[in-house]
Amino acid sequence: MSAPMLRVENLSAGYGKVEAVRNASLALPQGSIVTVIGANGAGKTTLLNAVMGVIPSRGDVVLEGTPVSALGIEARVGRGLCLVPEKRELFGTMSVEDNLRLGAYRLGGGAIASGLEEVFGRFPRLKERRAQLAGTLSGGERQMLAMGRALMAKPRLLMLDEPSLGLAPRIVKDIFDIIVGLKASGVSILLVEQNARAALQVADHAYVMELGEITLQGPAAELSADPRIIESYLGFGGHAAAPAS
Amino acid sequence: MNAAIALFLMQDGVINGAIYALLGVTLVLVFTVTRVIFVPQGEFVAWGALTLAAFEAGTTPGTAWLLLALGVVTAIADVLRGEIARTPQALLRAGLRDVVLPALLVGLAVWIAPQKPPLWIAGLLTLALIVPMGPLVYRLAFAPMADASVLALFIAAIGVHFTLTGLGLVFFGAEGFRTTPFIAGVFPIGPLPFKGQSLVVLAVTAILLVGLWLFFERTLLGKALRATAVNRLGARLVGIPTLLTGRIAFALASAIGALSGMLVGSLTTIAYDSGFLIGLKGFVAAIAAGLASYPLTVAAAIAVGILESFSAFFASAFKEVIVFALIIPLLVWRSLAARHTDEEEE
Repeated sequence: MSAPMLRVENLSAGYGKVEAVRNASLALPQGSIVTVIGANGAGKTTLLNAVMGVIPSRGDVVLEGTPVSALGIEARVGRGLCLVPEKRELFGTMSVEDNLRLGAYRLGGGAIASGLEEVFGRFPRLKERRAQLAGTLSGGERQMLAMGRALMAKPRLLMLDEPSLGLAPRIVKDIFDIIVGLKASGVSILLVEQNARAALQVADHAYVMELGEITLQGPAAELSADPRIIESYLGFGGHAAAPAS
Repeated sequence: MNAAIALFLMQDGVINGAIYALLGVTLVLVFTVTRVIFVPQGEFVAWGALTLAAFEAGTTPGTAWLLLALGVVTAIADVLRGEIARTPQALLRAGLRDVVLPALLVGLAVWIAPQKPPLWIAGLLTLALIVPMGPLVYRLAFAPMADASVLALFIAAIGVHFTLTGLGLVFFGAEGFRTTPFIAGVFPIGPLPFKGQSLVVLAVTAILLVGLWLFFERTLLGKALRATAVNRLGARLVGIPTLLTGRIAFALASAIGALSGMLVGSLTTIAYDSGFLIGLKGFVAAIAAGLASYPLTVAAAIAVGILESFSAFFASAFKEVIVFALIIPLLVWRSLAARHTDEEEE
């Protein structure tokens, strides 16, 4: 069996003296969607930032069998790791197309043309808006652009931080359809979400984070039926829990 | 004061303003990409003029030795810091780039200087000696603290400025020099006679500004620099190496600085410490534009040049005072009018 796409072991990270993630371990098999769910402030974003190298961390991050803990963000991008951050971090005063082109900065040349074609195929809306400044887009369009920009780098593992945050339900559905489509095209996905219901529907495996620690994990289908999850994250009472199949 | 005098003053102001525009634009460029307020920009101006003057006098310019010293020190510092990997290939590459290449340039300068090369060769060699200093200064002084606050970077920039000014005194002495103009003679255009060098200043400024615009609008690397300026984290997340964009910004700064120095060298006497004052006027323009807008910086720089030449006419003793006093109302207006922007704002 090949090495997992991502293996995180005993990862601890934080800001200053506050440790927002403690001893987190997780694994993400090739070509799967793994989700990390948890309440606001549980440390999910910190976990992704630490895996990406945005903030310093202790512990091991292993990408396809290669340790990347010592590498900077740019080198991790070069190894096929991409983060779509919660705040999107777009280039607001540049056009949609320029944002996308810069997504393929490391690949350059022919990858830009083919990447643009692929991204515009997935997000026709971005094609309509290609000349518009990124800062003037709506919330949903910004999320599409952030995902499109990450896809331009041809990632092998895409990490999405709260892709549904602040979006209208119909757009959330579009975004999750696209996530499923990405998995079908062979991209592995690490999805961090507060919208546990939507995340568990698309994910193969799930982890639950509470107060900086991973407290529960299992196949997404099983967790969806777990009374503790239903009570805490899916928002209806324990009595409504369907028996696990 | 009559119309003819006013026209002359305008001409003088626009030509000086063109130089300030180049320096102001560079300050904006360096600040937006690296968040460094590049105080030492003026040193490159002075060194550009003085290096050219040294070649004209048939002596080896001190900047040649400085480049070699800077290369060696930076390479050692980068190896100690682990910025250059301690593998044979990486060390060889760094040695070639930081030591051998500068040494070759020193050799070329030592060989060519006594032969009093033609002006254009001396000009090219001057650029070859000074342009690499920008990235070297960045690697030595600013890259290790790239994530520090704007204030800390600013203090470092002041330290670098004093260091470089002191080195300038060591290498060039306290005496001022003037270079020969690239184009001698006077050309009447309309009612005004233009010095050949003034036309060169205007032409080079125009070409450089258009060149910079094309670089930022049309090339992926230029866009990467802009992206770094707009959103550093976003740039890093798409794999743009911000240390590389920093080096490029500083290379542009030293190139434009040296070029500006060669341009003003025949219009005014330049000594080792003259660059600071010239750079500061570019800074006034850059501040007027909020350290953000290139076209506004150019407009403000021309205005600074014109204000300076009219001040020189009406109250020559207060020429500098009037120009620099301008910065106070500008800052007050900026702090009141501009909305507060965070460093890492989206």
